[in-house]
Amino acid sequence: MRRTSWETLTTKYPALFSIILIVVALLINLSLQPNLFSRDTLNSNLRVFLPSVLLAVGQAFVILGGGIDISVGGIVSIVNTVLAVQVGLNGSVEKMWLYVGISLLIGIICGALNGFFIAVLRLQPIITTYATSFLFGGLALFVLPNPGGGIPQSIANIYRSTTPLGIPLGFYIIAILILLWQYLRSTRYGSYLYSVGGKADAAYETGVPVTWINFSTYVISGLMAALSGIAITMLSGSGNAEIGSPMTLTAITAVVIGGTPLSGGIGGITGPIMGALTLGIIQNIVSFAHVNTWWETFVKATIIVVALAAPGIINLFGRRKS
Amino acid sequence: MSRSLSAQHIVKHYGGVVALSDGNLNIQSGEILALIGANGSGKSTMSKVINGVVDFDGGQLLLDDKPVQIPSPQAAKNLGIATVFQELSLVPQMTIADNIWLTREPLKSTKAINRKLINQRTEELLALFEGTLRTKIHPELPVSTLPPDEKQIIEILKAISLNPWLIILDEATASLDSRQVDRLFELIRRWKAEDKAIIFISHRMEEIFRIADRFSVLRNGKTVGDGNMKDITDKQLVQLMIERENVYEFTKASTAAEKTTSTNPVYLEVEDLETDTIRGISFKVKEGELVGIGGLRGQGQRDLLLAIFGDIPYSGKIKIKDQAVHFKNPRTAIKHSIALVPGERAREGLLYIRSILENLHLPNWDKYGFPLKIRKAQEDARKIGLRLNLVMASLMEPVSSLSGGNAQKVVIGKWLLRDPQCYLLDDPTKGVDVNTKSEFYSLLTGLCKDGKTILFYSSDDDELIGLCDRVLVLHDGVIRAELTGETLTKENLVAASLGVTNGGAA
Repeated sequence: MRRTSWETLTTKYPALFSIILIVVALLINLSLQPNLFSRDTLNSNLRVFLPSVLLAVGQAFVILGGGIDISVGGIVSIVNTVLAVQVGLNGSVEKMWLYVGISLLIGIICGALNGFFIAVLRLQPIITTYATSFLFGGLALFVLPNPGGGIPQSIANIYRSTTPLGIPLGFYIIAILILLWQYLRSTRYGSYLYSVGGKADAAYETGVPVTWINFSTYVISGLMAALSGIAITMLSGSGNAEIGSPMTLTAITAVVIGGTPLSGGIGGITGPIMGALTLGIIQNIVSFAHVNTWWETFVKATIIVVALAAPGIINLFGRRKS
Repeated sequence: MSRSLSAQHIVKHYGGVVALSDGNLNIQSGEILALIGANGSGKSTMSKVINGVVDFDGGQLLLDDKPVQIPSPQAAKNLGIATVFQELSLVPQMTIADNIWLTREPLKSTKAINRKLINQRTEELLALFEGTLRTKIHPELPVSTLPPDEKQIIEILKAISLNPWLIILDEATASLDSRQVDRLFELIRRWKAEDKAIIFISHRMEEIFRIADRFSVLRNGKTVGDGNMKDITDKQLVQLMIERENVYEFTKASTAAEKTTSTNPVYLEVEDLETDTIRGISFKVKEGELVGIGGLRGQGQRDLLLAIFGDIPYSGKIKIKDQAVHFKNPRTAIKHSIALVPGERAREGLLYIRSILENLHLPNWDKYGFPLKIRKAQEDARKIGLRLNLVMASLMEPVSSLSGGNAQKVVIGKWLLRDPQCYLLDDPTKGVDVNTKSEFYSLLTGLCKDGKTILFYSSDDDELIGLCDRVLVLHDGVIRAELTGETLTKENLVAASLGVTNGGAA
């Protein structure tokens, strides 16, 4: 009975666990960094977290639909290098906007390529996107072999320090994402997405356009990766073909911590967003706790492993009792 | 408007196996037709032809007397034909409402799904089964939290929500309790009054007589009779389902062992065994006895064998040679000299891509020391191969290179090396060619002569009658009849399988 109620609870409120997690992380962070909620600290935190948040949202779509996309880091790298090389440190604002548009197009094309292989040709998602991640990463290296280039300081500052009504830009973006998701989820598309991720055979038998839904998730993921690439370029102001590769795993971890299991069909976008924020906060905690740099990765990974294992442990105890 | 569907001379092959050779069926609106047949007679294939799941090889379908193609389940729905499947077509993570209305959700002007309306319509559907549902059911409950019977009901409601004119109920009552069945029958009568047509497939004879107007009997893929229910008795129906000819020569295990089993000590004793599908089974098997387990598919036979083998949790007592045992996993059961030939050869019995040698020795490597004495292992495997007359290119070939019959020989061969005292066989001759079958029969009688105990489930009734000393017929998770000697006839076996009362002896 307990197990059922926990299951019901997590199916109904997939973000429940991630809320608990983020609150705990925030409290620890606050104790180490008392000025956490001041405007400047919030803003500097959010602008660092936002690229991962965007990436996690795209990833969540794919995972909800029962797939996985490990090529997103490659897409981030392409977008970053294209912007850094084509716009340049002395580029104009018009040129920047033009290449932002081109970047989004690149993201959609990369996603469509993944989607074609996986949804239409029915190839394994993990292998396919692993392969295309090298394709994208290789292209990024071709565009910009050595770190360098960048975008004008003034344009980067738009991203770094815009705080309309005293609230950091990141808040608005996250709010828009959540609102869009809430709408999308309430449409037929949302219902189809869950059914395909839950049990594709049953969905197919009921007349759901399974191929098209699968394809769309990779396109969305590509688009979000491009947005993430734009954000991280504006954050760093410079180009580096290796910038995206560590971000893939962070995004996947964020989705899972956010209560969207890799098996698909359960969860949402809100959880993964909080998951990405939580991972950022954990990074904060690790650096503010003055952990020896040698141990930093280890400590961070331990926290993530414990966070990932927690729902399973809760379920285990639930099973024992029933 | 009166509508009709007619299937004429339908032929369907699966590879070399003929599932339907001459399937016929006629139904009109306002009618309840029972589709009846023994195991493997082609009932499921027939329903799959009508609802567009399989493509047939010959014959034709007529809708309102005009030829019609039904290439997909979606096409069937568009023609107003809805099916309640046994294998559930529900997405477990989604809510009841979302499942029922998937692809047909009512939308608001903003293109968002109208939650209020969808819930309200779901409530209306759920009200049809009000009072028979165990949990307090809400449209927004995920399907995964429901027990099997309620999932089945949601499946029925999903089919009904299409407002079809023809409803196919394929074993829809199998997981329902009696109150739910009563309610379903009330609804079926109501649909009939609304001029809908219902094809009712069930293994429960009693239900067929309660609800159906007409019957159509399939035997070995052929329609062998149809007519009105009121013109026939259950005994006559059973007669229709039975085939007379018999292809095999059987030697009873008991005859081979010269009837010595009656004095043998009891080897296996089962008392009040219960699992999810078994509801209290007790029996004893003596050493050297070949006991058959009969009945229609999915009546608990699989669970019975798996429980004894420690593969699934159970309650009740199991004794081996008067010693109580409770195996928690197959590994301990194997140590106690028990072997299982599982029902699904490809999934449970063999590692298809690995070599024959590896498959034969998978349970036996512990006998070959460290490092493994490969040469001795090869020698032993070769002997087993010879004993079983295994047709293979070499021991190193993958099992996937073997024919169905030879692959099955490998499954049983891997146990022979351990020389277990007790064999549990789950439909071992399924999909096996004629030659291998007869080789198999002599192997089994041979094992019994050596004093081994065999529990043998088969979906082939002739096999059970020809080979076994005693047959336990399972129906709905209990032993419906125990047939031996005189009473072990096909009539009794089939009757007991269908749950016909006083059909069997004992």
